Amino acid sequence: MTATGRVYDRGYRPYEGELGGRRAARMALLKASMRRALGIRRAWRQKLFPWLLLAIAGVPAIVNVGVAYLTRDRIEGGIDIITYQEYVGVSTALLVFVGLTAPDVVCPDRRNRTLPLLFSRPLTGVDYVIAKVGAIAAIVFAFGLLPQIVLFVGQTLVSDAALDYVADNAAVLWQVPIAVALLALYYASLAVAVSSFATRRIVAAAALLLLLLVTSVAAAILTEGQLEPSAWEAINLLAAPLNVRDLVLDGEVTLGSLAGVNGATGLALGVYALVVGTSLGTLLWRYRWIET
Amino acid sequence: MPPLPTGWETVPVPMLAIDRLTRTYGATSALDGLDAVLEPGVTGLVGANGAGKTTLFRIVLGLTKPDAGTVVVDGIDVTQDPVAVRSILGYMPEHDCLPTDQSAADVVATLGEIAGLPARAARQRASDVLDLVGLDEARFRPIEGYSTGMRQRVKLAQAIVADPKLVLLDEPTAGLDPQGRHEMLELVRRLGSFGISVIMATHLLDDVQTTCDHVVMLDAGRLVASGPTEELLHTTGVVRVDVGGRGQELLAALEHEATLLADGTVEVNIEGEDDVDAIVAAVAGAGLPLHGLTSQRSTLDDVFLAGSASASA
Repeated sequence: MTATGRVYDRGYRPYEGELGGRRAARMALLKASMRRALGIRRAWRQKLFPWLLLAIAGVPAIVNVGVAYLTRDRIEGGIDIITYQEYVGVSTALLVFVGLTAPDVVCPDRRNRTLPLLFSRPLTGVDYVIAKVGAIAAIVFAFGLLPQIVLFVGQTLVSDAALDYVADNAAVLWQVPIAVALLALYYASLAVAVSSFATRRIVAAAALLLLLLVTSVAAAILTEGQLEPSAWEAINLLAAPLNVRDLVLDGEVTLGSLAGVNGATGLALGVYALVVGTSLGTLLWRYRWIET
Repeated sequence: MPPLPTGWETVPVPMLAIDRLTRTYGATSALDGLDAVLEPGVTGLVGANGAGKTTLFRIVLGLTKPDAGTVVVDGIDVTQDPVAVRSILGYMPEHDCLPTDQSAADVVATLGEIAGLPARAARQRASDVLDLVGLDEARFRPIEGYSTGMRQRVKLAQAIVADPKLVLLDEPTAGLDPQGRHEMLELVRRLGSFGISVIMATHLLDDVQTTCDHVVMLDAGRLVASGPTEELLHTTGVVRVDVGGRGQELLAALEHEATLLADGTVEVNIEGEDDVDAIVAAVAGAGLPLHGLTSQRSTLDDVFLAGSASASA
């Protein structure tokens, strides 16, 4: 302290403004969870993997536009390495991102016993579930859609007739966002639900990836050697959102695991609804009462 | 506000009104028809482990439903609108509850935002309350490196960041050394002076006696005693006289019933102020030095033990 310095006790100042209610609490938790998932305000180690994975998810779009640009004068119509439809859910980077970040936004709340601090505020279990699933879904949606936008804008610019390209592909402007949103909801609700049972992040991540891999392998074993497409493919949880993607973009399952199966539309919608519904129901059950 | 009709008068709303509150866990009764009214101020909620303090907090927070009875916080029924109640409450749990990989500044600001503060106000108030609890530059470091005392301060800061009307503190001095305990109790006392009502659950009666305006004592889910601390700590009819270690001489000079204590002071039973004058006269008559004459009062331990005995009788 200098000779002229003086220490002030500023005491306590009451808050004069209005407090938000449940909606504000929910939004604040959602934003905090998104920041955590993306490593914002955290050490660089926590930023590295999420951003690396999200960058990887965008690589095919950039490569596709680059190749289309380089071949625009040599090959009529250019080369499409990947279509908009294939791009929805094709990148495992997004899946790995969900596997890493969903546990990170849920498990520490139980492990550090932070839940009582959250639930002593104007927040309910429903709000908590919406915020956590919403945070992961919002990031997956944003980073699932961004490459598609790069792809669309790039392809438009390198095409011979930009307006014709836009007119020919106008449908994807609404189809792709819906398909990506459905994919994001699927990944987020399943990953957060699995994570809600673990206090350790590594356990939750392993459980999620194991669940997806086991159902995928089980479907492959059950359908092996069959000449006709089999309804057993419905148990493949890894492929389930891609069947729904096909429904949005083509009106029927064309590329997904249920392509050619009788009643594929109903099966695809049923499995999707069952997984998302069960995941959200499980989460609401898990957070109906909070131990303090 | 328009004037009230003639003959009407405003009735102050109690900060917490508990009416026949009952909660059982299987065969165990955590709260057994508890009735209590707590006025604004700093209140000590006293009881041994298992007395029902944490269950009461859980019910006040709307996290546990009572089997019977009601709890009304500042005029709002908890069972009717728990979210509205939580918007005027702050809560400091006893156990570790902080995310250790984040800084105190981040944690308190985030929890302030979740309590309903706008983002900018939350950051500003987080800074203010962390100043208030005495956490300086350390607030920007991850919590995993904090001492127990620093963590307790962060827990207190997050409880008051949104300027609650009532703060529930569960064993705020748990795990603190004597200096840390003293500082924490000083902070709790200051909250009362800021107009924030406090309910401090503890099993340390000394903490309550030195800090709280009111006391509520629980034993096995039942009310043992409650009231203003000063009223509970009534005088006992005993004065202690210090005559510089010459207690034996005082005993000989006194006409009252008296006891010589090991430290050389004398405890004298009295019936009124006249007896005090008589003691002073006896000291002077015997030519003894009068170093001290203090009226002995009951402690909260006495009140708790007496109340427990009569409740179980």
